[in-house]
Amino acid sequence: MRIVFSIAMTIVSLAVLAALQATTPPYAMLTGPIKTTGRQADVVAGTMFSARVKQVQKVRTLVWDQFGRAVERQSSGTWVVFSAELQAMRETLPVRGATVIGASGRLYRQSRRADSAPNVLSAKLVQPGLPTTGIFIFEMPEEETRDMELVLSRQYGPQLEDELGIRLEQNGIVSRDRLEIGKNGL
Amino acid sequence: MLKAISRKANKALLAKVLAGIGGFIAAAISLGYSLYEKRQADIIPQVAAAAPIEAGRWKVSLNAGAIGSELPNGSRVSSGKQAIVIDMTLENLSAESSNIYRDLVRLQGIPNPPMPQYYLVRDKDVLWDMQPMMPEAVKAVWQVPADLKLPDVLKVKVDGAQFKPRDNLYAAPGWFSSGSVAQVALPLAKTPVVTEIKP
Repeated sequence: MRIVFSIAMTIVSLAVLAALQATTPPYAMLTGPIKTTGRQADVVAGTMFSARVKQVQKVRTLVWDQFGRAVERQSSGTWVVFSAELQAMRETLPVRGATVIGASGRLYRQSRRADSAPNVLSAKLVQPGLPTTGIFIFEMPEEETRDMELVLSRQYGPQLEDELGIRLEQNGIVSRDRLEIGKNGL
Repeated sequence: MLKAISRKANKALLAKVLAGIGGFIAAAISLGYSLYEKRQADIIPQVAAAAPIEAGRWKVSLNAGAIGSELPNGSRVSSGKQAIVIDMTLENLSAESSNIYRDLVRLQGIPNPPMPQYYLVRDKDVLWDMQPMMPEAVKAVWQVPADLKLPDVLKVKVDGAQFKPRDNLYAAPGWFSSGSVAQVALPLAKTPVVTEIKP
């Protein structure tokens, strides 16, 4: 009887320990970002900064001027250009981390192919009290643009910091063949 | 009394012998397994040029090799150097934009090979992130000393990476090296050497 009892207790404690181990949140999740999500129509605000996406454009060819020379960039997929307005709450901060979660769930970071374009937001500093407008440029396959979420943070892989997720409206997307990015935006 | 003692001694001896046999079996299994692993690791499949190679995180096909003195972005290599240029098609199979392709292709038979610089053929510019599901034609450039004698057929190894949903340290998802997955014998074409124009 006693042996049966101790075997039963061992099995129960093993089950409890296995359950504890399986449900322990991993370190990466404990120190992960503090996420705020919202829709495109709203201003999505975290504790450090807020963002509003004004327009989303799908573009075949991007054109801009660099040192007086025209730069033209094409993609095997499509360019997706977001114009957005950022506001810092308390202190000056950059918003360098911008990722689009595509329809398949894959993560597309801002394209470095277009980081010399003017008015790119990740190259700017956001000062509190001064709304900062600019663009984020992504390159992704056409089918990934069917469902998109823009994720913004101070830098990539934020830890215990704001991360804003903005779900994008499909019917607001403008398709264009060619987009010239000027000094003052689009 | 004496009998009991001798039985006890026999029992102790038996236990020792059994433990010894167990130890030997463990050592033999471990040795056999490590020999087997070593042999398995030595067998790297030979892949033809231009055939796609699945390397976990990347899908790559090595299309052609060349020796030249000009970089894909149009500039000249630094003096005293020559460039080994490999044309490839590269695709990011992971779920995230990534620029960790530097260790993907390793040249064999070249002492202290430098880190390659990748160029995007579409832009004739330095390659940064590769986006998932967007294969691109790229060129990788290794700058080696000009007096280094290069073989006609260059041997190249492709290193794989393997995804772990929970790594051992942070229980975070990540990609980890999984050894060479393929080797390719790539003929090196010689492009005409541009004579240097001194200003």
